[in-house]
Amino acid sequence: MSLQHLKVSFFLAVRGLLRGSRGSLYLSILIIAMVFTNMIFMSSIIMGAIKNSEQSIIEYQTGNILVGPKENEQYIEDISGLLDKLNRIPGVIRASAHYSLGATLKNEGNRVGGTVIAVKPDDERMVTGTWKKMIEGEYLSDGETGEVIIGIQTSGHKDENDDMGPTLGYVRTGDPVTIEYTNGVTREYRVKGIFETRSYQADMEIFVTWNEMESVLGHPITDSTGVIIRTSPDLPEAQVKQTILRFGVQEEVKTWQDLLEEAFGRAIESFSIINSVTVIVSLVIAIVVLFIVIMIKTLNNRRQIGVLKALGVDKSIIINNYLFQVLLLTAAGTILGICIVEGMVGLLTVFPIVFPDGDVTPYVTPGDLISNTILLFIAAAIAGYIPAWRVASEDIMTAMRS
Amino acid sequence: MIEVIDLCKVYSMGKVSVDALQGVTLSIKKGEFVGIMGASGSGKSTLLHMIGLLDKPTSGKILIGGEDISTLSDHKKTLFRLKRLGYVFQDYALMPELTVEENVYLTSMVRGTSENEYLSQTKEILTRIGLAERSDALQSELSGGQQQRVSIARAVVNRPEILFADEPCANLDTVSSQNILDLFRKINHELHQTIVMVSHEEWHMEYFDRVIILRDGRVISDGPPVIRDHCIIRSPE
Repeated sequence: MSLQHLKVSFFLAVRGLLRGSRGSLYLSILIIAMVFTNMIFMSSIIMGAIKNSEQSIIEYQTGNILVGPKENEQYIEDISGLLDKLNRIPGVIRASAHYSLGATLKNEGNRVGGTVIAVKPDDERMVTGTWKKMIEGEYLSDGETGEVIIGIQTSGHKDENDDMGPTLGYVRTGDPVTIEYTNGVTREYRVKGIFETRSYQADMEIFVTWNEMESVLGHPITDSTGVIIRTSPDLPEAQVKQTILRFGVQEEVKTWQDLLEEAFGRAIESFSIINSVTVIVSLVIAIVVLFIVIMIKTLNNRRQIGVLKALGVDKSIIINNYLFQVLLLTAAGTILGICIVEGMVGLLTVFPIVFPDGDVTPYVTPGDLISNTILLFIAAAIAGYIPAWRVASEDIMTAMRS
Repeated sequence: MIEVIDLCKVYSMGKVSVDALQGVTLSIKKGEFVGIMGASGSGKSTLLHMIGLLDKPTSGKILIGGEDISTLSDHKKTLFRLKRLGYVFQDYALMPELTVEENVYLTSMVRGTSENEYLSQTKEILTRIGLAERSDALQSELSGGQQQRVSIARAVVNRPEILFADEPCANLDTVSSQNILDLFRKINHELHQTIVMVSHEEWHMEYFDRVIILRDGRVISDGPPVIRDHCIIRSPE
């Protein structure tokens, strides 16, 4: 196969497409664009939901790294010593200690079970973004007592239909809330603020200050149920985790990826199976559609193919002509498909899809576009080659008599 | 130039076999304008397809320029057709997506001729056949006679050793047919082009140097056309 032969094939392909049926040309491009969109879109939504979930967990719940009690222990001991150590480790922006205690919240006959988390607000502001998500009132301040901030899924929405579980029945800032702790202490609090992160898990949380929890427990807190850490965005969490371990931290240290693997490992695996099935089905559709398009083209052009062979045009030139046609159709379809995908990403960024774990926008990387484009081109090449080869392999007179 | 020796072609259609050619032997010299004539089903197109390497004979030999073409591989036959033969078909067989000019230079492109060369050759041949003005037209924009002239231009642009024409006037009116036959004769005289043409119109004999008449797959007559009282009656048997 010489360059000259490829040039002739390309010449015939371009003329065949541009001067053939316009309707069939546009329809073929549209079908390929739709197939490409289908290959990308479902997986982008799934990836968007996963990424959104990851971001919510990092931003509002665990930070980049979570330090928990040693195996078979309930608390991290000497929390101030651990915090001092963690905050000195390169790559750690800030560590924030949590102390969680089970409780029942009451308001005007509504009861909600949950976990009250004690935080040091100044530390917490540097680790999570909950303080930026106050829809009413204010975030906690260091040292204050008698006040609580509550997530919207615990406080309740004005419209009950928006509640996804039991709530306190639309509690507002300044309202009183009674909390019965599992240690037997009952306290009356004023709601200082309501937050809404749009992550269901995060929006169920209830926070009080460290000082308030010390008051509930009746002694200074030297232990902790967990420490969350914000790491430098320039360093991978796994690297910072290794550094933490090298600094002699004995507690259980997990990155958010470790936690996700534990919590959602199966779900992510299922998502990737769904994603693979979607891509395979789309590719099969692409192969079948392109096969039919080229089959119809070659069958309609059987006589022309016979004439070309009679004139001394090599079989490979004829096959490559149709191969180029299908690849050009695929290129045009892919470009249109990328435009459609980017348009949908833009649209869904402005008007996201509402999921329980937050607003989801499609997540498409250049790698996704490239890999799906390559897959589509391989499918197109197979779908174009087979019918072209079949017709081009006919003997001249059979083709010319058709 | 062309030697055909005891050529046979049998078409099998299910249990029925048809002897399209039954031991045809003939020779054609360089520069001759030969007409192959006969009634429908006489085997004239089959013979042309065999000599033109478009179909395979059941038995017999075909020598072109001393080379036994029946022993060539498919690839070599393709190259042989491209480099040494030219074809004009009954229904013109132009590529509908190509312009007049593109149809003419297509085989030159395949041969690897430089762009400048094939463009000037195409311009020259289109001028010669009077279609230079229509070089950008598509097949659908041409009359039957014009399409056949383009087909002839495509066949001769590479100066083939032999030009095969399979009933080139079958779809044309008398005036267009005369124009096409005049063009063939002009090409034959000016370029000393060997032409083998299949026809069933007796009045076409006037244009041929020699007429081979087939009946039931056998040559029944071979010689110059006989003209009586300005009217060609038939080749001598």
